[in-house]
Amino acid sequence: MSDEEKKLGFFDNVKSVLYGMAGHDMARYALKTRGSMEHLFILITMGDLLGIPILPPYYSLRLLPYVVPQISTWKRRMLRERDLTDALA
Amino acid sequence: MALAEIFEKNPNRRYIMFGGKGGLGKTTFSAAAAYWLAKKGFKVLVFSVDPQASLSDIFERNIFGKGPVEIMPNLFAQEIDADQRIREYQGEIRQKILDMYGLDQVPEEIENYIQAAAAEPAMEESAIFDEVVDIVVSGDYDYYIYDLVPLGHALYYLSMASVYDQWIDKITGLREEMAEYGQVASVMKREKETEEDKILKELQYIKHRINASSSILTDKEKTAFYFVLIPEEMIILDTKKAAGLFAKYDVPLAGYIVNRVIPEELASKNIPDYLRNRMEMQKKYLAEIKQVFGNDVLTNVPEFERDITGLPMIERVADALFGVDK
Repeated sequence: MSDEEKKLGFFDNVKSVLYGMAGHDMARYALKTRGSMEHLFILITMGDLLGIPILPPYYSLRLLPYVVPQISTWKRRMLRERDLTDALA
Repeated sequence: MALAEIFEKNPNRRYIMFGGKGGLGKTTFSAAAAYWLAKKGFKVLVFSVDPQASLSDIFERNIFGKGPVEIMPNLFAQEIDADQRIREYQGEIRQKILDMYGLDQVPEEIENYIQAAAAEPAMEESAIFDEVVDIVVSGDYDYYIYDLVPLGHALYYLSMASVYDQWIDKITGLREEMAEYGQVASVMKREKETEEDKILKELQYIKHRINASSSILTDKEKTAFYFVLIPEEMIILDTKKAAGLFAKYDVPLAGYIVNRVIPEELASKNIPDYLRNRMEMQKKYLAEIKQVFGNDVLTNVPEFERDITGLPMIERVADALFGVDK
């Protein structure tokens, strides 16, 4: 019993190492892309918040409650000044 | 073909619309058609999508923003109060935000946005559009009669459905792609499940509502659109143009009704030149209407000696519109 647990633990560790080597970067990249898309999504639906009227306000209000927590980071990102070092991030 | 015959031969056409330039008699015919159908035993709702609606005037009762009001047995009328609808809607959104995040107050920035959105030019039309979806989807009536807004607005209203539809398609696509990336990340991290995307669900709901309404508007089986015109040159030109535009949006045109035709029997009486000249003019344009729209011209409705308000006058118009069948 305890042997099995140990074995599992060992394999888990191997998996974690492999994940760290191969998967982590991809997962990070996927999440980062998703984050960018999230911001693009808010831009399309809530563009008015930045003074960019995109379309149509009635139904986009329905979506507003779901993006409330992201609004401030989104605004910061959209209005931030950019330079070359951004490409490295 | 007479109008009554068209109604009898197409019992599935349950959505009836009257369109045309302002002041030509759309509301009058909407009320008359509703009256005629109600007398035949159908349960009818006539409703106005015009912010400056005049159903209250024609039925001589204030029905603005009161939901469906029974005018006589089987005949219900409704005028949509867009401002009230927008206020209620804003309230719902605020409440949802408060509930979702356990706040006592909507953050200022968000509140400002909610306020500003209500001032958008398209907001009023969208709110009416949304309420029409509610009305039509509920399916409580045998017939729905749309008292449409003047042409330009009506076109805007119709095109909105297709614009909305494309917009929703685009952002739904984006949202689905986002869900894929989220899934990839959670597979990599060997998490069991990704969080369910509530926004995607909301988008699908919106899409469903828009499709419900726009599919009715363009359904040849279920919908009939009648143009109202009068025998005058400018109106004929505008109607031609509008009919072309409506055809572009696949609105099923069922025919044209000519209103305000001066009764011909007057010609044999001793009438002033003024009236005789007007009758000559109408005759010329009636011939032109016949030539342009051909067999799609369903009927001519006479000019009455007084304005059309109250049920007895509506009955007279209905008789003229459908032909008396007693």
